[in-house]
Amino acid sequence: MKPRSGESTRHLVKAIVLAAIALFAPLYSVGVDASPQVELDTSRVGPRAIETLTERSVLAGYRFAWENLASALQSNSLAPLNGSFVGTANSSLKERVIAQQRSGLSSRYLNQIHKVDAVFYAPEGDLIELHDRAEYTLQILDGDKTVHNERIVVRYVVLMTPGADRWVVRQMQSVPHF
Amino acid sequence: MWSKVAGTLAVFCLAGASFAQGGELRGPASAIAGHPASISTTGSGAATFYLIGPGIALKREVKMGKDIALASQELQNAGEYLRIVCADTCQSAEFFVSPEKPASLAFLVHPSRAPVGENDVISAVALPFDRFENMVLAPTEVDFQLTAKSVAPVSHRVTTQDGIAWFRTNSGRSAGALQVEASVDDVSARRIVQQVASNPCNLHIKGQRTAKGISVETDPVHDCAGNPVPDGTIVTFTAKDGQETSTVDSPIKRGVARAELTASGPVVISAASGVVMGNEIRMGAQ
Repeated sequence: MKPRSGESTRHLVKAIVLAAIALFAPLYSVGVDASPQVELDTSRVGPRAIETLTERSVLAGYRFAWENLASALQSNSLAPLNGSFVGTANSSLKERVIAQQRSGLSSRYLNQIHKVDAVFYAPEGDLIELHDRAEYTLQILDGDKTVHNERIVVRYVVLMTPGADRWVVRQMQSVPHF
Repeated sequence: MWSKVAGTLAVFCLAGASFAQGGELRGPASAIAGHPASISTTGSGAATFYLIGPGIALKREVKMGKDIALASQELQNAGEYLRIVCADTCQSAEFFVSPEKPASLAFLVHPSRAPVGENDVISAVALPFDRFENMVLAPTEVDFQLTAKSVAPVSHRVTTQDGIAWFRTNSGRSAGALQVEASVDDVSARRIVQQVASNPCNLHIKGQRTAKGISVETDPVHDCAGNPVPDGTIVTFTAKDGQETSTVDSPIKRGVARAELTASGPVVISAASGVVMGNEIRMGAQ
């Protein structure tokens, strides 16, 4: 059977186009974003060793917090913050949402990847400190106009405490380095 | 046609006059929480300035070539801030705001009640915060002091690591209030740990026949350091009468636990409190 070189070329072009879309689409997507990818390393935590169930709960609580943070700052809604943030972290994020509402701005935290180290777990298990190397695409919108769009790495020092049914973020402070 | 092109160019030129001409943002590279700062700009014309940071999202019309003042209340939260200026194009840069000096301490001390004479039973964790509730992450010396009645105060100095100072210590030998204090410069926080008697030591019982059965009671119950075991602590009396065993749980009242047991035949009575066993007494038949 004679090979059809024109058809093969078309298939190859299609494959390249699809691969390019798959590769670059996440960088420019503004619609539904995937859940944050969070990796938690507890190998260096002290003075108390972290129990497996607690580790899972901290990981789930932190991932949920970032989902809620992104949702609140994209939709300029305070409601998503209530379940995951308390204390200073909650008040600071609420101030940000209210300020965004006032100035007609919104923020998108897209394609989040968090590499998190647990660095301190209190002797009585009532406080954990995390160091998060967060990588995400930050978009700032003024109405419908994008005024900033950048893939960035931000380092956060995070304090979490156990809440009624999950671990919640009490302090979240970005720092130049750990 | 040429008139249309010329008209369009004129519109662009007029519009351009109201936008910034080139220009860039300079400073601050860093700032301190609650302190004003300014951003200098070059170029000319109108532009829109944005400041995005922890607790803030600000939009302001500015003139390029003039300084942009950031008020102290706009920089109260420590962390990374993004400044953006948009004219014909948008430019951005980041800067960090550092916490101020410590103004308060979050102080966690456990447990609220601790038995005396236990190793590493008391833990204290201190986190310094500035007046805007930013976590102070620079290494800071925290002085911990433990004070109990009729005992010389004990001090520990610990430098914070990643914003946290902590220590663990033994409980003292005497029951009573233990004050645990953490201080950084003129900022301090205090907590009280109630040191209570440990498990009973040398639990000793005595008994006698009565008309109704056997009356048993302990000697005054103390721990091994001589502290009276608190009232309400349960002492369990057990009576073995041949094949039958009966138990009575009795709380200590005024230092002594008492029970009335019903047994007519020969009986062996023992007592226990927590993990501590007392002596046995044997009573003959009635």
